[in-house]
Amino acid sequence: MSAYLAYGKKTFLGRSAYRFDHLMSILSTLLQFFIFYEIYRTLYGGAQQVDGITLKAVTTNFVLSLGLGSVFSPDDYFLPNRIADGSISTELLRPVSFRGRMIAENAGNALFCLIFKFIPVLTVAMLTTGMSAPAGAWELIMFVISALLGFGVLFSISFTVQMTSFWLINIWSITTIKNVFINVLSGSMIPLWFMPDKIRSAVDLTPFASIYFTPVQIYLGQLSAKDTAVKCMIQLIWTLGIYAVGNILWKKGQRRLAVQGG
Amino acid sequence: MVNFEEVSKRVLSDVTLNIPAGEAVGLIGASGAGKTTFIKLACGLLAPERGRVWTLGKDPVRYRKKYGRDISVFITGIPLLEGEDTVSQGLDMIRAVYRMDAEGYRRSYDELSQRLGFGAFAEKRVRDLSLGQRMRAELAAALIYEPRLIMLDEPDVGLDENAKSALSEMIRERVQRGVTVLVTSHDMAWISRVCGRIAVLDKGRAVSCGSVESLQSRFMPVNTMTVKISGRIPDLDDLPVRKFSLEGDVLSLEYDSNHVTAAEIAALLLKQTEIREMNIKKPGLEQLQSGGKI
Repeated sequence: MSAYLAYGKKTFLGRSAYRFDHLMSILSTLLQFFIFYEIYRTLYGGAQQVDGITLKAVTTNFVLSLGLGSVFSPDDYFLPNRIADGSISTELLRPVSFRGRMIAENAGNALFCLIFKFIPVLTVAMLTTGMSAPAGAWELIMFVISALLGFGVLFSISFTVQMTSFWLINIWSITTIKNVFINVLSGSMIPLWFMPDKIRSAVDLTPFASIYFTPVQIYLGQLSAKDTAVKCMIQLIWTLGIYAVGNILWKKGQRRLAVQGG
Repeated sequence: MVNFEEVSKRVLSDVTLNIPAGEAVGLIGASGAGKTTFIKLACGLLAPERGRVWTLGKDPVRYRKKYGRDISVFITGIPLLEGEDTVSQGLDMIRAVYRMDAEGYRRSYDELSQRLGFGAFAEKRVRDLSLGQRMRAELAAALIYEPRLIMLDEPDVGLDENAKSALSEMIRERVQRGVTVLVTSHDMAWISRVCGRIAVLDKGRAVSCGSVESLQSRFMPVNTMTVKISGRIPDLDDLPVRKFSLEGDVLSLEYDSNHVTAAEIAALLLKQTEIREMNIKKPGLEQLQSGGKI
């Protein structure tokens, strides 16, 4: 078994060891979803749509965004913890890529959350609220591809933020700011449809809209085939672009360690 | 195998040292002499400020990943196993990372488990182990695969005598199989038993490298000879000894082995009296530090 597969498997099995913690995290995701759902149901005040946006579309956005958010949760402290305890030295000496390991462990975690968190949350949400079904088979396929690309964007942002730990003792504040941007600008808290046009245009220029909102739009059939391809291409560009920045920091960070020590 | 040419980094200054292939070399020196820095430079975790480091014929900073399978590094304080893993899980991850075949891994695991005695806590999480248990588990992680070069920085810390002697035995066996081993320790008696060659670092400089005997001869040439005599008391005035004393029929002599040999002293004594017993005591390497010589 390749080392990366072993790392992914270890994370998958490691997650399943903490059953109580896992149950609580499912509960917290459901709670979060129902709070958002009730807030928007009250705001809609019995109306079926506001500004052309149906409650069903808003509900679908919450279910998918929170569901994907529970699956795609990169460990922002993967590198910082290893710098703090010195085990980064061990990682740098091993004949496997540390970045590859990060991806493998995040993938193992995502797979676990997909099976044991996303699917239960989705099932409960579908049974209790009126979320939409995918617009069609093509939309469903493209939703999966776009969701994976959204994970790529999210991972690249986390990867790049983590690289600052080569220079900073504590990256908690940066991570918090990053999470606020993701929560607000990715559409998971406030669907981007409700934002004023100018703000919406500005948000579209950031990578955050690519994380959850693009897959949701594809799922609901709000994008034409051409727009779907363009949006997916934008997701890919963000993923590669941000990862490239993180990679430069990774190389500089390693050089810093070799010159100054850990 | 490891070659330092006028290397300076932190406390190390103009260190020139060659660690030959297939030998166990001990690196000794007082705290802060630069032993850990030396190992970090040799494995490529640190880059020299001046001079050149070659390990396995290449620049270790550039090639450390490429020859990761050829080198095993153990530095006290830098964990090889993850705290959340059990010892057996951690070692199994090392098997995957170093692509060990299942049979070779099982053989190595069983051998290390028996000799380092971690079988009893193999299913415990690493973070829950005591210092001594953790050291044994970490050493197993460093020794479970067979590289060409092993670097161990103070591997004896927290080990009991059984584990220490098992470790020295395993180091000797690996050297016999052609592996090069570089070890640092503050336990001079232990390191002189393990390594055929010792390098001495003093205030960042490599002051000597050679066999235990050559170090003794250079830094601690004064041996003690105890002779039990029967017959008349010899006249020692002409003997080139540093100090002598007589208690009953036991004569104690301190002599500089660089100026006179034990055989010469014995021959001179035999001309004057009868010798019933004779013992020669050479100073241990631990006296290098306690005597303030390094």
